[in-house]
Amino acid sequence: MAVASQTPDHAVAAAKGRRADRDPKGGLSAFKASPATYAVLLIVSAMFFVPFVLMVSISLASDQTSAQNAFTVLPTEFEWGNFAEVFTATGLPVGRFVLNSVLIATLSAVGQVLSSSLVGYAFARLRAPGKGVMFMIVLATMMIPAQITMIPQFLLFKELGWVNTYLPLIVPNFFTNAFNVFLVRQFVSRISGELDEAAQMDGLGYFGVYRRIILPMMWPILTAIAIFTLTAAWGDFMGPLIYLNSEESMPLALGLQYMTSTSNAMQLPPWNLVMVGSILLTVPMIAIYYLGQKYLYEMNLQGGSAGVK
Amino acid sequence: MMHKVQWRRGAGLAATALLGAAALAACGGGDSGDDGALKMVVWGGDLDKETYQARIDLLEAENPDITIDLQLIPSDQYEQKVQTMIAGGDGPDIMQVAENVNSYSSKSQLVPLDEYIESSGLDMEQRFGPVGDLYTYEDQTYAIPDRSGAMIVYYNKDLFDAAGLEYPTAEWTQEDAQAAMEQLTIPGEQWGYGGAGWWAQWWSFAYQNGGQIIDDSGRPAVNSPEVVAALQWANDLTHVHHVVPTAAEYADMGPDMGGDPAFAAGTVAMNTTGFWAIGGLIESDINWGIAPMWSGEQQAVSAFGSGLAVTRDSENPEQAFEAIDFLTDVEAQTVIIDKAQDVPANLEVQQSDAFLNPEWAPEGLDMGAFGESSEFIFRAPFIPEWNEMMATFDDNLGTFWNEGGDAKTELDKIQAQLESIIE
Amino acid sequence: MSNVVVDEAPGAARETRGAGRRRPKMSGRRKKEALYFWLFISPWLIGFVGFLLGPMIASVYISLTEWDSFTPPEWVGLENYSRALTEDPIFWKALGNTFYFAAISVPLGLVVGVWLANLLNKRVRGRKLFRTFIYLPTLVPLVATAMVFKMVLAPSGPFNDLLGWFGIDGPQWLLSATWIKPALIILSVWGAGGATVLLLSAMNGIPRELYEAAEIDGASPWRQFWSVTFPQITPVIFFNLIMGLIGAFQIFSQVYILAPNNNVGGPDNASQMMVTLLFQEAFSFYHFGYASAIAWLLFIVILLFTVIAFRTARKWVFYETEVR
Repeated sequence: MAVASQTPDHAVAAAKGRRADRDPKGGLSAFKASPATYAVLLIVSAMFFVPFVLMVSISLASDQTSAQNAFTVLPTEFEWGNFAEVFTATGLPVGRFVLNSVLIATLSAVGQVLSSSLVGYAFARLRAPGKGVMFMIVLATMMIPAQITMIPQFLLFKELGWVNTYLPLIVPNFFTNAFNVFLVRQFVSRISGELDEAAQMDGLGYFGVYRRIILPMMWPILTAIAIFTLTAAWGDFMGPLIYLNSEESMPLALGLQYMTSTSNAMQLPPWNLVMVGSILLTVPMIAIYYLGQKYLYEMNLQGGSAGVK
Repeated sequence: MMHKVQWRRGAGLAATALLGAAALAACGGGDSGDDGALKMVVWGGDLDKETYQARIDLLEAENPDITIDLQLIPSDQYEQKVQTMIAGGDGPDIMQVAENVNSYSSKSQLVPLDEYIESSGLDMEQRFGPVGDLYTYEDQTYAIPDRSGAMIVYYNKDLFDAAGLEYPTAEWTQEDAQAAMEQLTIPGEQWGYGGAGWWAQWWSFAYQNGGQIIDDSGRPAVNSPEVVAALQWANDLTHVHHVVPTAAEYADMGPDMGGDPAFAAGTVAMNTTGFWAIGGLIESDINWGIAPMWSGEQQAVSAFGSGLAVTRDSENPEQAFEAIDFLTDVEAQTVIIDKAQDVPANLEVQQSDAFLNPEWAPEGLDMGAFGESSEFIFRAPFIPEWNEMMATFDDNLGTFWNEGGDAKTELDKIQAQLESIIE
Repeated sequence: MSNVVVDEAPGAARETRGAGRRRPKMSGRRKKEALYFWLFISPWLIGFVGFLLGPMIASVYISLTEWDSFTPPEWVGLENYSRALTEDPIFWKALGNTFYFAAISVPLGLVVGVWLANLLNKRVRGRKLFRTFIYLPTLVPLVATAMVFKMVLAPSGPFNDLLGWFGIDGPQWLLSATWIKPALIILSVWGAGGATVLLLSAMNGIPRELYEAAEIDGASPWRQFWSVTFPQITPVIFFNLIMGLIGAFQIFSQVYILAPNNNVGGPDNASQMMVTLLFQEAFSFYHFGYASAIAWLLFIVILLFTVIAFRTARKWVFYETEVR
């Protein structure tokens, strides 16, 4: 299952080489950050951050405040107990939800990484009649509203006996999606062909080139895809809502939806606990993003997005 | 960052482990239809789940051959989820239904229950009184009433006392109600009434005026003078008399704020809604009471309820009915009131001491208000196109409720649209 | 940076090599290469045929029937399409609303995205942190976003307070038929940070020499943005434009969660969008045939706009190959 078990020397060298000529911005006026730059960034960040602060503030509010909807933007109460209560007081197996989310999101990401790297590599490097048409189809599939296929897809998975399992949520990821194929193709197109050539002279086949040469260099894009997939699968509730029936099998995003549901539409959900749930849902994503952003910004997409010409 | 190679090896291991786990989970979570258990779906929140489960536990204890898997679905996703289940041939055995019951029964998704009712000797009239035939469509019964209670008036005793007013009674007229609301209003701070923007509320006024939403021949009748007057009054309470918070004022109180939570917060002095508000009020600080709805030309009030139905997909409709029969009988229905969830549909329970003097009730709570109201409940039109009808009202009345306007104009538009929707 | 590749010949680097020596005797190899190509793309191909094409064909069929998803479908031919186009006023309203939303939110999102990306591309201290803040909105779950935005956009909420500082009397946003669409646009711009990922990544790849050359010519940073950065990232902007258009035309969740009282249509259908209408028809009214027809009409609209975008792209999207 390991995606690649060893790193070829030349790839390491290439990576090192890239690192050596990093910081290409020193001394250039285009990259000089003026005080105005900081001011704007601070203001914009604050605006983007305020709703999150509000979220934290609500999560720390007492039940009393929550029932009256008397929240403030900055926290005035600090009911840290809410963070423990969310696991017990909601009547829902929240701990189990978290595990389910981890399972679904991780496997989805593994599936996307594996499949998109294969398919993207082929679209970038291999030549075959009909490839152009295939690529147009890849792009066209992005335009199809998901709702169009929702019911037929459900019927299909029902036939397969997959309803009430994680399979409908995970398996399609092993067949990749258009967006990720596109990203990988763009990325690989920008890797120099010289290495492939040398490797092929050494007798490596197409799969060998993929596995030994290209795959080890795809890390930035594959990490980016993993992050995109993790985020999407982690936050998805429509899919789980349709396919999962038992409470124990639900992911957190859907569980959160259950938490907001009350006996009647006119009653208020326990907002403070819902926000604790939201924070549980958000923080792992922030952490993954923060750690992975190095790769996200190395996708090297500039100039080469020729596929959409 | 960990060393790359290590990271990769770790990732590989983790992925293998997770795949295994997924396979396990997939097996474990397999379809429950095979083990003979009945699948039952209901909507709602925590309390609902707890209550239904407690009733099912009773059922299972006394009928060892029946097992039920209860599945609770969030209210706003209930219909979609159930529809997907049915469309996929994986429908529940027992489902909770309410006003839009006939969008299912008219598409023959529910099993007519008359035969089962007859052979079990269940007397609908005796067990449920007037609501016994609530879920009848084209002379066939499609659901057994389970929860059923009139809308009632909740009032804040402290605010009434402070204004020197008598508490509401069934003898109040619309004028009395408005007069009280005016005295209970402190501009920008406190309002006399929570509002009547919900169909159950302003339709009550329409029926009080002698109007109808759908007339006896099944045609829409929403632009009759009676209905127009009711809607106009309901709206004027907000935008002319200012005794009800506007939508903007509600939005300022918090997200999803409305009459129920505002009443619990002591911001509005009266609120008309169903039983369910009680659960939250028991825990609130305010001093509250309940009374039957006031009247207009005549007494009329809407009721809320839900029934239990057996779907087409059920492999064992007989057993499903047996379960429903038990769940709507005295013992299981008593749980509904013990948990302060709702009004049980079972008359005997409604008249029992368990209902009239529940343990959780604050001193002097007039639980008789529900029984008193049941005499003048009007029958809302449960047409197969219920959802379309609701959407038509919502679509057209949005600005009207938010900003005020002329009821006649809006209802003429709605009437025209309803005529094309209802065949 | 000479290995930039265009559509017709992805893998151009290999092609040039092949052109030199081996092309004449390559037909056997070509066959093998083609075989491998199909083998490699088979995951996508299988998924496409199984999970997408099949359901799509089913959906075309459904759109030509009247189907409530319970009882067998009834063939009605093109009636659903003609009903949408000629009889249903809400369809046109929803289409208009969707246009309105897309026409403003997509360009606005792009401008904000490019602007932020350009700021973040500077040598800013704490860049990682700023990037995280700006990306944050895309990480917050929808349930939380909805609730928080209902508070922020309340008639006397923080956002109107902010406008108040500038002497602007804020509208009622979600409660108003006029302002609910701008409110949805604000929400979408709040998520514009998502676009900065691809843009920044593209900016990162721009060779330093280009800036050095511009610097020597004495170009100001502003000038350098327009003459170096912008042309270099036009392909990614274009890609974001296409994805943005597709996303905007398919707007659903935001409306679904922000609409007051769960009435997706919003006041007087002012926030009824194509996909929310489709959703309502399918899952509230059980008109599956009609809903599928709407979905296909939406697909045609998106296709149309994508084609238009591709047409205009020739004028402004810069590919290095063209100047090479």
